[in-house]
Amino acid sequence: MPEPKLNEPILEIRGLRKAFGALVATDDVSLDLRPGEIHALIGPNGAGKSTLIKQIVGEIRPNSGSIRFEGQVIDGLDAAARARLGLARSFQVSSVIPDFTVLQNVMLAVAGASGAVFRFHRPALSDRKLTEPALFHIEQAGLADRHLVQAAKLSHGERRKLEIAMALALRPRAFLLDEPMAGMGLEGGRQLTSILSELRNEAPILLVEHDMDAVFALADRISVLVYGRIIATGSVAEIRANPEVRRSYLGEDA
Amino acid sequence: MGELLNRDAIINLVIFALLVAVALGAHLAGDGFTVTLATKAAIFGLAGVGLNLALGYGGLISFGHAAFFGIGGYVTGILASHASSGMPVVTLPFTIMGSNEMLGIWPVAMLAGGVAALAIGALSLRTSGVYFIMVTLAFAQMLYYFAISWSRYGGEDGLSFYVRNTFPGLNTFAPIQYFAICAVLLALALVFTAVVTQSRFGLALQAARQNSQRAVAVGIRPYAIRLTAFVLSGMIVGLAGSLYADLNRFVSPTMLSWHMSGEIMVFVILGGVGRLCGPVAGAAIYILLEHVLGGISDYWQALLGLLLLGIVLFAPGGLIGIVTRRGRHA
Repeated sequence: MPEPKLNEPILEIRGLRKAFGALVATDDVSLDLRPGEIHALIGPNGAGKSTLIKQIVGEIRPNSGSIRFEGQVIDGLDAAARARLGLARSFQVSSVIPDFTVLQNVMLAVAGASGAVFRFHRPALSDRKLTEPALFHIEQAGLADRHLVQAAKLSHGERRKLEIAMALALRPRAFLLDEPMAGMGLEGGRQLTSILSELRNEAPILLVEHDMDAVFALADRISVLVYGRIIATGSVAEIRANPEVRRSYLGEDA
Repeated sequence: MGELLNRDAIINLVIFALLVAVALGAHLAGDGFTVTLATKAAIFGLAGVGLNLALGYGGLISFGHAAFFGIGGYVTGILASHASSGMPVVTLPFTIMGSNEMLGIWPVAMLAGGVAALAIGALSLRTSGVYFIMVTLAFAQMLYYFAISWSRYGGEDGLSFYVRNTFPGLNTFAPIQYFAICAVLLALALVFTAVVTQSRFGLALQAARQNSQRAVAVGIRPYAIRLTAFVLSGMIVGLAGSLYADLNRFVSPTMLSWHMSGEIMVFVILGGVGRLCGPVAGAAIYILLEHVLGGISDYWQALLGLLLLGIVLFAPGGLIGIVTRRGRHA
């Protein structure tokens, strides 16, 4: 894999367009994610944020445009292949394997990232190549001591952390986090904010988020998506001061 | 969790030991008929274990596993009938002779079951939900109607072979010895399933069942995982079909019919979906009911239906779930 040059974007989206019939959900979107940054993507409901994320991860195909990841064009790769390159995703609604324990969930991610899932013989639970990295990432995500709990029995906040542990297990080169703060409550949100600010040391984060306090606290840059179009990209201060953004999204009191 | 796993392991051993005890006891009492019933339970259990890999662990609700059961059966019947007639099965592109040795027949039956599962699975796994059920059913019915019209091998009447195939060192005609063969193969299939479901592959298969989008997001391709499970499943069911053909020394299109697919599914559901020994318990209970209730009334299947309804509604973990008081295996 070619080592990207300093400050060359990790993720580079150019002219992405996706239409569902007459509805243009993604309209000529260009966006990049640079090393070390948290780039927040905000916008009203229905602006096309989730559709954009789905195109980046390879779940749906754009009509036109191109995505480069670490210098490599990934348009032809399916979602599993993109994940293995280190494009780690969390979901808007927590998505884990409910009957698995925390440990098994993260082991699954370690195994998936390794690309070696067609191993039929050895018990996964005694495979230290899976368990050791898994336990490490579980601790990293703040779930130590909870590794034997069934995922379905976790609290909402813990499930969010489990998703982060699974993302970390992919040896991510970029995170795509889709509303990680949703439904977290005040204390949980604060905890998660501090976890996210540490995550950026692992890899840059493209953060889709409604919680403006978190966005303003975390983001280096913000892009505003309205009706499938990016109407502004800039620093927190620039976005707060941008009249068009205030009108269409933040509201005059922001 | 470790404690519960042990409990599951004990239950699995008990179920298997019960089956063996019934066969041995009947043998010592000189009751060859009951030994044959236990053999049938072992064979049906083996078919159920095969289906369970796809249905229980993989969540692939196949309504077409009779295809693999029947293919295993027909492979056995065809090879055996050619062995007794001395005519080659095919002469082009090369000559294949019949065989009456189980050790030669089983690999062919498993291979044929696996190849059929690869073809059927490759197409049907592109669908999901009720479409998957219907597509697998359609493939099996195609084979069923093909067998009916295949007059060379008996068509609708089926194909008899008069001598049970042989196994080195054993008299396969002695009921208890044939039972031993079937029980050992069942045990091997159970060990195989236990190992595979706990491996990395098993982790990926069960993850794909529960949350396929999540599996993709960590770099796993559910299609390839499911197809592999489907093929392994078809191979085990093909072996069961071969044993069933030898048990009866007869194969017929009935082995390929949707009733058969349904029966194999019933074994799995009765015993417990995704439970290692569930299908064995399910098959044993099924045969017990068929024998006991069938002796009282021809309508015994109505009672089976009620039992099945009760299990689905009140104990989705099947009979094993009732014993372990747990919904389902992870």
